[in-house]
Amino acid sequence: MHPELGREVPIGGIDKELRQLWAEDDARTNASLVNLAVYSEKPGSLVENSEAMRELTREHACRALLVGIDRSVEETSITAWITAHCHLSHGQKSVCCEQLSFALTGRATGRLRNTVFAHLNSDLPLILWWQGELSPIFSERFYSLIDRLVYDSAEWANPEESFPKIMEAMEFSSRLVPQDLSWTRSFQFRVSVAALFDDPVAQNALSAVASVEIRYHPSSRMAALQLLAWLVVQANWRDGLELDLADKRQSKGAKSYSFETAAGSAVRATLVADENSAPLGSLVIRAGDVSVEVIREAGSSHLLRRVVAPGHVTESPGPVDSDNPVGSVGEQLSRGGKNSLYVKILPRFQQLLAD
Amino acid sequence: MIFGATGDLTHRKLVPALYNLAVDGELPPGVKILGFARRDKSDEEFRSGLEELNRKVSRNGHDEELWSGFVRNIHYHQSEFTDADGYKRLSERLDEIDRERGGKGNRLFYIASAPEFFDDILEQLKAAGLSKAAKGCWSRVIVEKPFGTDLATAQHLNQVVNRTFEEKDTYRIDHYLGKETAQNLMVLRFANSIFEPLWNSRYIDQIQITCSENLGMEGGRGGYYDKAGALRDMVQNHLLQLLSLVAMEPPTDLSADGVRDEKVKVIRSLRQWDSPEKVAQNVVRAQYVAGHVDGKSVPGYREEDRVDPESMTEAYVAVRLMIDTWRWSGVPFYIRMGKQLPKKATEISVHFKSPPCVLFNALPGGVPGGNVLVIRIQPDEGISLRMVSKIPGTSLRLEPVKMDFRYATSFGKASPEAYERLLLDAMAGDATLFARRDEVEEAWRFIDHIEHAWHQSENPPPMAEFVAGTWGPKEADDLLKEDGHEWRRL
Repeated sequence: MHPELGREVPIGGIDKELRQLWAEDDARTNASLVNLAVYSEKPGSLVENSEAMRELTREHACRALLVGIDRSVEETSITAWITAHCHLSHGQKSVCCEQLSFALTGRATGRLRNTVFAHLNSDLPLILWWQGELSPIFSERFYSLIDRLVYDSAEWANPEESFPKIMEAMEFSSRLVPQDLSWTRSFQFRVSVAALFDDPVAQNALSAVASVEIRYHPSSRMAALQLLAWLVVQANWRDGLELDLADKRQSKGAKSYSFETAAGSAVRATLVADENSAPLGSLVIRAGDVSVEVIREAGSSHLLRRVVAPGHVTESPGPVDSDNPVGSVGEQLSRGGKNSLYVKILPRFQQLLAD
Repeated sequence: MIFGATGDLTHRKLVPALYNLAVDGELPPGVKILGFARRDKSDEEFRSGLEELNRKVSRNGHDEELWSGFVRNIHYHQSEFTDADGYKRLSERLDEIDRERGGKGNRLFYIASAPEFFDDILEQLKAAGLSKAAKGCWSRVIVEKPFGTDLATAQHLNQVVNRTFEEKDTYRIDHYLGKETAQNLMVLRFANSIFEPLWNSRYIDQIQITCSENLGMEGGRGGYYDKAGALRDMVQNHLLQLLSLVAMEPPTDLSADGVRDEKVKVIRSLRQWDSPEKVAQNVVRAQYVAGHVDGKSVPGYREEDRVDPESMTEAYVAVRLMIDTWRWSGVPFYIRMGKQLPKKATEISVHFKSPPCVLFNALPGGVPGGNVLVIRIQPDEGISLRMVSKIPGTSLRLEPVKMDFRYATSFGKASPEAYERLLLDAMAGDATLFARRDEVEEAWRFIDHIEHAWHQSENPPPMAEFVAGTWGPKEADDLLKEDGHEWRRL
């Protein structure tokens, strides 16, 4: 039925079939550093995600568990397939990662936990990449198993409703590390801003910041808001005076926020949605006659980092974040850690989101 | 001689084990196998039933030629277990076999019948003079579990056994001890200088022993299980035996008594949960309610075939044990056993204390958990060690990694089945991997307190519930949470 997913196997015989899979070829090495599960309720996602896994396993050895659920079908069923993604290491040894795929229909919460997650590679962390909206399946019984939860808040129709679910999960499970791909997409912007303030001219201007403007593609609003929340938290800005309605909506697609620095000066931040922008198009911080800029043209494969002051211009290129979710997940897997900075900015980000 | 020869154990385990020993050239050539049971059967009928199962379960596969040579040495002896005449005929038949084959008269009796016949079989063997070996020969008995149902019945059975056979000729089998990894426990601990110095309360935070089964009461086993329960069926024997191997002091030598002397000290040092209050604090019992296992709907325990709908028998048990010795002072040992859990697995996990973290605690993410040494008893027998490693790259971030050793792939040949090793040891007179009388009785002494609290006290600790296919009840999670621990995710 799905040749891309490998051999269909009985649920009760998965372990036996996996052993057989490895016994068939002595030349292959089974490698795994994490359990990487991908959950999706989108039709056809199993095959797409199998392709994504082929890419990810080039760099990240894992046991992959793909879960495709169709909750609209009343009848409960579960089908499983196994395969391995193999890649040559140094042109010689074939290093392979197991992939288990599960297609479920009907009510799935209990079966998902009991059946799918009974096949984890023990002792290794479980990273779950949740694709799409947080459906009712995302419950305590489910997320209590997870070490790292990867999601993309840009996919959510109502992030104001979804983020509290993430906070609830974190509260319930102290080991759960949230990893938002929208946050991942702002990584190189954040690195660039931090690097630009190494410039003494920019550093001296930091206490005099008066405005921030972030231009973004409408599909990347979460990344833009998180980038702003990061600036606000790291610079220790407080909420400023309430802006009037006209100030808040300067023009179509733009929204303004008011802050106050520790020294009491006002900072105005504006987020501008632009159909022609890269996912994150630009971040411009102005402090008097000093301007700190990180710019990415749509379609460009690098960032431009710039500090402009009277008689002083420095420019340097920088790498861009991946625009493709598989690339972003790969970057997250490479970084690991507890994502503590994201956890730190989340409350402020939620305030901005609700504003 | 196998008593209870028409039973499942003989067909699934004992005869395939003997066949595999024969295939590997380990079975002495003069060995004859006699099945003793009540049903009327010819040798041919008996052999045909054995062959059918051997084809399905034999580790080395089923070779027609080898089987035909092997099966010629298998015979059937029909008799009631209480019929003295049947034993007299057995004795005559054995003498005849010895005469035919030039055998010296060495005999190994394997009691694999239902436990209610153990006494009768032993007494009849004695009456027929079969328990006494001729000069220069041996006569030994292997007794299957359950070895009693409580301390009193175990003591009684021990008295009967010891009236019939000498203790040195008595082999109380616990097939877990025949598993390769269980045997390797002593090698791991005492032949590797890196582990033993760390094997104590200074470095070890906790130890967990898990035995999970993804089956319920299929095949009519509810009738037996509902009378036994998880604690008596698994913990009293298999899991306490594993515990004693993990926790014992180094024996002075590898003799059977040298090892068993140290094992029994561990069981004796268990802090006794000798009141209902202590049992409530340290033991959780539970039954499963309907759920899903391996993608299939399964009934709750009380709806299972041959289980009392009002049963108060536990299908899951979790116990916190404390061993009051210098080595283990303050280190909790957690044992859990359950039916209808998500997967079949038995393992011991040794959780080491976390490092002081003066260097890495300040890093983003800190140190992700301590070292865990896992000894997998089944399936995939092997050992793994979880360590913390730096993720490659310019930043200093840590993630757990696992070093894994698997018997199946590391040595290029499959491990023998537990029964193969144990049958061979019994023939060779090595009782190291069998339980001694005092071990069995001490284990029952510990278990009896819990059973009494559950079934005979005025305020018995409650029976918890969990959904079939999950990892047990919340109460079991809370048991560990009180100590700041959690069950290892398998």
